[in-house]
Amino acid sequence: MRLSTIIAIVALVLLQGGSALAHHGWSWTTGGNIELTGVIKSVRLGNPHGILEVDAEGEIWTVEVGQPWRNERAGLKDGDLAEGVEIRLIGEPAEDASEKRLKVERLFIGDREYVLYPGRD
Amino acid sequence: MTLVEAILPAIEGSTIAALLRNGRWSYAAVNAVHIFGIALLIGAILPLDLRFLGLWRQAPVSELGRVLVPTAATGLAIAVAAGLLLFSVRAQEYAGNPFLLAKLLLVATGASAALALHASHGWLLRDASDRRLAWHGALSIACWTAALACGRFIAFVD
Repeated sequence: MRLSTIIAIVALVLLQGGSALAHHGWSWTTGGNIELTGVIKSVRLGNPHGILEVDAEGEIWTVEVGQPWRNERAGLKDGDLAEGVEIRLIGEPAEDASEKRLKVERLFIGDREYVLYPGRD
Repeated sequence: MTLVEAILPAIEGSTIAALLRNGRWSYAAVNAVHIFGIALLIGAILPLDLRFLGLWRQAPVSELGRVLVPTAATGLAIAVAAGLLLFSVRAQEYAGNPFLLAKLLLVATGASAALALHASHGWLLRDASDRRLAWHGALSIACWTAALACGRFIAFVD
């Protein structure tokens, strides 16, 4: 009886979670780049993923940038990615267009380019 | 709930959480330790559970248990310790992750079932019936394999 309860719970959770597979790697993206310009609304940097929320003409996008070492290698300093900063992003969106999630390959703040994934285009 | 709401930001704001969040290798290293613990736990408990279910009948349960029970318990302890550190990095976010909650439930069930079994039948399970052991083996395999799967899936949902 306890076993069947557990199986039911696990099955329920699996079904619930199956819709939003994302994050790791590039398997969830379209394979093609898009460009997005907007203003940073919130910032959550650090392992295992750096996440920005960006307001692009009224649409809120969840934007995946690098881990600390990747952002640093690209030349980003503490405070570069901050609320209110206007940013231009180039990267791959989620295949599910309703998700409004972008994994960034390179980005521009002002005229300066920061390349997170060199050799990916 | 308010206690949890107060504790989670404090965990996330701790020095150790900040070190893991910003370090180059620290997070990856703790991740590796977590996997090492899981490998020990699953690698030890699965053979024992399969023995309970009727495989390798010529190998005495008490002899297998002497090696595999402490190995699995050590693996669990390592996995829990490293897991708490990984959790601290994004405590507030992970606390709402359905896979993490399911995993914790499964780990608690698996661990309590093992404690209950040893509490009634002793460390080496000398007087446990085959039927009792088989039931425990089935429950234990289900818990630990499902816990591993749920743990892996944490990273793949919002």
